[in-house]
This record gives sequence, structure tokens and C-alpha cells, in this order.
Amino acid sequence: MTRHLLALALFAALFAWHSQAEYYGFELLAEIAVFAILAMSLDLLAGYGGMVSLGHAALFGLGAYLYSWLGSDMVGLSAPLAILGAAFGTGVIALAVGAVAVRVEGIFFIMITLGFGQMGHEFFFQNKALGGDDGLFGIQRLDLSGIGIDLSDPGSFALAALVSAALVYVLLAWVLATPFGAVLKGLHANPNRLRALGLRVLTYRAAAFAFSGTVAGFAGSISAQHTQFITPHLLNWTTSGEVLIMVILGGLGTLVGPVVGAVVLVLLRHELSSITDYWGAIMGGFLILVVLSRQNGLVGLVERLLPGRRG
Amino acid sequence: MLEAVGLCKRFGALDATHNVSLRLEAGARHAIIGPNGAGKTTLFNLLAGEIRPDSGRILLDGREVTRASPDARARAGLGRSFQRNNLFESETVALNLALADIARRGTGWQVWRRLASDRAARARAEAVAAQVGLGDDLASPVASLSYGARRQLEVALALMGEPKVLLLDEPTAGMSPEETGRMLGLIDSLPAGLAVLIVEHDMDLVFAHAHRITVLNYGEVLFEGTPDEVRASALVQDTYLGEDAEAC
Repeated sequence: MTRHLLALALFAALFAWHSQAEYYGFELLAEIAVFAILAMSLDLLAGYGGMVSLGHAALFGLGAYLYSWLGSDMVGLSAPLAILGAAFGTGVIALAVGAVAVRVEGIFFIMITLGFGQMGHEFFFQNKALGGDDGLFGIQRLDLSGIGIDLSDPGSFALAALVSAALVYVLLAWVLATPFGAVLKGLHANPNRLRALGLRVLTYRAAAFAFSGTVAGFAGSISAQHTQFITPHLLNWTTSGEVLIMVILGGLGTLVGPVVGAVVLVLLRHELSSITDYWGAIMGGFLILVVLSRQNGLVGLVERLLPGRRG
Repeated sequence: MLEAVGLCKRFGALDATHNVSLRLEAGARHAIIGPNGAGKTTLFNLLAGEIRPDSGRILLDGREVTRASPDARARAGLGRSFQRNNLFESETVALNLALADIARRGTGWQVWRRLASDRAARARAEAVAAQVGLGDDLASPVASLSYGARRQLEVALALMGEPKVLLLDEPTAGMSPEETGRMLGLIDSLPAGLAVLIVEHDMDLVFAHAHRITVLNYGEVLFEGTPDEVRASALVQDTYLGEDAEAC
């Protein structure tokens, strides 16, 4: 409950910022929203399900490419259908990848997802029809002019991205409160016991991977609309690492933590990089401090400071 | 209910289980005893599906489950407890029981309703919690429970699946005398039609509560009979009970 209130306060702050922001702020907010969605989807998998993936960016990038491809002249779908196609298409691919990857655990799972991710990266890097390493540009945004919203306006787009992130939070919070969410936590805590109790462990793990991938693909479709320009770098494992840092920095298995992590990382990256070229080192130091605090990320720190914290 | 025919399992040169057969009818209270290394744990794991036999068959309620996975056996009506507590440590008693319920009924796909809104599932959890004496601890995290209460929860998780056959792996291991008493009361209160197989070191428990006893030695069935027959058997006295008396 505390965490939902924290999320409410955080999203309220982001919307408040949006009401004051100008172009630069809108760009930051849209980026925060995209990474918040992506990081929340990774938290579902890694923080709750215990499956730490280094291939998550590949699903994110796949969603971005699927959206761009489906919406381009090559296929010619309308933007809403392209968004759905990107999310569920990524989900289907994730189910296929997950069916293999979830057979192993721990470090092996990290390696197998890294392997799949780099395969995806290489595919788009080499595929000339999809722009190769130059990527794709001129990507269309969703047209909401029918209801009086012009998404080509940076402010409107940032607002739509923030609303999407808030809706994803609500969706994931709901799913975590269902029997499926309970299974996800149980799979992390004690998969062998769940197996002995009759649960088809691999099926559920693959389903969690697919669901998480669907949300990551959705994040990719928003990212493609935001920058209107995508490259294979989106799929690279370094992007996965960055998203993992957001989740850990904010707090694994807290759902609001990844949103906090996305805000902090995007802000630090932009603010510090305008001051010093060594911003990565400062960010690294910050991450080390948070981890050394032995709390569950920034959310863990906040909960420790709040009276009446649970658990 | 549960039948094993000619089970064999080798680990390299070790004949861990050799031609073991046993049969549990509905309502059975069957114990497996034997000295350390007699193959009790291997037999238990064969029956639970954690390992596959080299040869032999296992039938559960008339269905062949020799090659079935542990989860498939659980869905077919086999419940088991673990020798070392194997719980969802950071969760509450209620969520532990809810997970057992979900696993058995396959309701984990229900993403359209909140777990907390499933009243029928909660009622089942409350009933089992009361049955094992944890009725007042539903909201407690497992980490706050005493060792004995955790052992009770261990059995409760197995009971949540409404099994036809219950395998108990040393249910009183590590318990204080009072805790042991509570566990024995729990075992006595199990549904009469449930077939129960207990692997146990505690001889008092075995002789007081089992209707039939299988004595294992070096992976083979040394003797099978009622507690009185086992007590009277010179063979068992020589190889096991006598040895136990001079141990330590």
C-alpha cells in the first residue's frame, strides 16, 4: 500500500513537472516514461519472478522495429494496430524465446537471454531492408487528432507517454495482486515446492517471460514514436544493463522502484553529461552507494525512513 | 491407492533401491523404517517423482505414474511433505496455503480477479490451517513461526491439494516433545480415507501410529508387516532395532 502511495506521489510529481515544462522537459519526460515502462516490465520478470534477463532490451528494440515496420509502407497498418502488433508480436517472440530460456536458472538464464538478445541485435544490425546499422527514420506517431490531441506536439506526446506509464503501473499492480502474481512470487521464492504442489513451473515461467516481453514491446513502440528514429542499438545488451540498473537502483520487486530508477537515471544522465564527460563514473559511484546501503534500492531506503513500514 | 512394483534404482555402484514393492490401500497408515543408508530417502524420492527408477512401476490410484513429473503426480492426487521445511519463507501462512491451492487447481492463469477476492480459496485455506492448528496464524509471516509451526505448515501445504495419498518425510524431525505431540495429533486427525506413507526415525511414532511397516535394509525390503509382527521379527531385531539400541 505504501508503495502504491509512493507511486501516486511520483506520478503526480511527473505530471506537475509536465505542466511547467517546455521542450527540453517534455523530451526528458517522454524518455522517462518509456524507460519506466521498460523497467517495470523487467521488474516483473527479475524482481518478482527472479529471472534476471540481459536480453530485455532486445524485446524493447523488437517492439520498436515491429511498430516501425508494421506502420511503414512495407505493411501499412494504422498506428493503433501497429502498437498492438508491436506489443503482442514481441510477446509471441518472447514466448518462443522464453520456452527455451526458462529451462535454466540464475547465471545460465542471464547468459541465455544475453545470447538471444545479441542474436536479435545482430539481425537488425545486418538487415539492410530494415536499415542495417543506420536504422529506420521517419517513423509515424499515433494520430489522435480525431479527439483533438496533436501528438506531433512534444508536450502532448510526453503527456501521452506519461499516461501510458501510469496505466502500465496500474496494469502490473493489478496482475501482481492476482493468482498469477502470487505464482510469480512463488516461482522466485521456491520453484521446487511449487512443482511438488502440482504447478507446471516451466509453463508459468515462459508465460511470465512472454507477458513481460509484451510490455517491453509496448515500451518499444512508444520509444519509436518518441524519437521517430530507431537503430539496432536499442536492442544491445548495454541497454539491457542500463534498464537493470534502473530496476536495482529503484528497488527490485517493488514495481514503483523501476519508475524511481528511470527518473533518476534519465535525469542524472542528462544533467551530469552536460557538466562532465565523466558522468558515467559519477553514476557508477551513486549505484555503488545505493547497493552498499544494503537496502532494496531507493524505495527500500525510503521505506526504512518512513514510520510504520511493512515487513 | 499407491502401488510400487519391483522398483530398482542404482547410483553408480550403489544399489540404493533394489526390487522394492509396496502397496497402500485407501486409509493406509504405512511407515518405512530402516537404518541410515537403507534407501528410505531414495524410495521416497522415487515415489514423489523427484528421481526416476531404473526399472519397476509406480501406480497412483490405478494410473501409471512411473515416468510422471512431480507436478503431474501432485495433480493426480499425491501430496508430500519435505524432511527439511520447504516453504515460501518471506510470505504469510495464508499466501503459502493460497499458492498450494493455486498449484493444485491450476488457477494461476486467473489474471482477471484479485487473489484476495477468491472467497472459496480463502475458506479452503482457513479450513486446512485450522486442521493443522495454524488457524490463528494465517496473517503471520512464515519467518515469525516457531519451528514446530513450520512443520505443521509443511504438512498443511501438502493437505491443501486434497491428496489421495500423502507422503510424509520425517514429519517430526527436529521437534521438541510438545511439538512432536502436536504433530502426532495432526497425523491422527488426517482424513480416514487418505492413504499415508511415513518415512520416520522416531520408532515410538511408527509403532504407535502405523498400521503397517516396511523395513528397508541396503535398499531391499527386509520385512513387512504389522507393528507387532515387526517387533516380533528376529530378523528385524538383529539388523535394525538391536543396532539402534546400542547406537550412541
